[in-house]
Amino acid sequence: MYLIINHSSMQPIYEQIVEQIKEKIINGEFSEEMMLPSVRTMAKDLKISALTVKKAYDALTEEGFVVTVHGKGSFVACANQNMLLEEKKKEVEAELEAAIHKGRSCGLTDHDLTELFEIVLEG
Amino acid sequence: MGKDVMIKLNHVQKKYPDFSMDCSLTVYPGMITGLIGANGEGKSTTFKLILGLIGKEAGEMEVLGKKRECSNDGKQPEKEILQQTGVVLAETGFGSYFTIHDIIPFLEDLYPEFEKDKFLQYCEEYKLPMNKKIKEFSTGMKRKLQIFAAITHKAKLLLLDEPTSGLDVVAREQMLTLLREYMETEGRAILISSHLSGDLETFCDDIYLIQKGTITFHEEMDRLLDAYGLLKVSDEVYKKMDKSHIICRKKENFGWSCLTDQKAYYQMHNPEIVIEKGSVDELILLMAGGERI
Repeated sequence: MYLIINHSSMQPIYEQIVEQIKEKIINGEFSEEMMLPSVRTMAKDLKISALTVKKAYDALTEEGFVVTVHGKGSFVACANQNMLLEEKKKEVEAELEAAIHKGRSCGLTDHDLTELFEIVLEG
Repeated sequence: MGKDVMIKLNHVQKKYPDFSMDCSLTVYPGMITGLIGANGEGKSTTFKLILGLIGKEAGEMEVLGKKRECSNDGKQPEKEILQQTGVVLAETGFGSYFTIHDIIPFLEDLYPEFEKDKFLQYCEEYKLPMNKKIKEFSTGMKRKLQIFAAITHKAKLLLLDEPTSGLDVVAREQMLTLLREYMETEGRAILISSHLSGDLETFCDDIYLIQKGTITFHEEMDRLLDAYGLLKVSDEVYKKMDKSHIICRKKENFGWSCLTDQKAYYQMHNPEIVIEKGSVDELILLMAGGERI
């Protein structure tokens, strides 16, 4: 398992882990039912606190990417296509939002933005 | 990380003519707990109290699931605590005229579960001289020897007082890796002190700051690194900004340095402020040199 943690990034470490594991599940690098390393092992490998890893696993469990079986470990959950699509949709939404924000902050009207959007769509 | 505790100190007190101690902290199984503080603030005293090397005068102390009294000074520490813990203190504790070969029988005698092969393997791997007197060892070699002895008898708990002092950066990382491997077995715990923040930031799960014998700050390392931040603001901005999430402040020539536990709040509301990530060094500097608000 290769995850890369950036300690100088402002993004919380647990979020970095969540993001990278999600990506590996979505692109198929991690297959269904694959066992993730134990919290302690992951903490050792990444040289971070075990609580950070636990927080990341909890977040992944809550979002349905990972199933944790008590006493056995954490496993990659059924990689549901809809869920993955939903995840991608969220990303696209965030990027569109950022673009709209940028446009508005330099004075473009909603009409200008819609026009731009349609030009890009057609292109 | 269960409900059991490995160590629980509840207002454990000890008075010296020029120093008094009133310490409360808890170490849970599966956790690496860090104790930080400047020199002379009570880190080593805390370790000695837990081990029973010095007696407490008041308060409650629980170590490895049992209430510990040890109220009189000079008493031998309980054998049970010694056998189930691995210890690194400032002094090596090994007779300086002995060689590693000489001390093996002592370790076998003291620790029923001493893993001799593993111990020898570590000594060989890290090139400790087997037939040289320990007093001729370099500081780094002595430290390594102490760490190897601490982790090779299936101890449930490690008490490490400045285990990395005197080690160069490479050796430090090697020793921390061994300690991380030790933690992979479930139900173990470490209490570690250090004044090298780098050790603690990448190693501990939970952190306590001790000042003048009292715990003045306790936080999960994860939160310290993610949610805490150091704000650098001019006098003018400082006057206007919301100070409800500032823990402490310190006067600087440019204005104020402020420690916050809600970095995100200021990122959102005061995007113009320079915000640095929280770190153990900044925490110590601001808590020791600044004022709490």
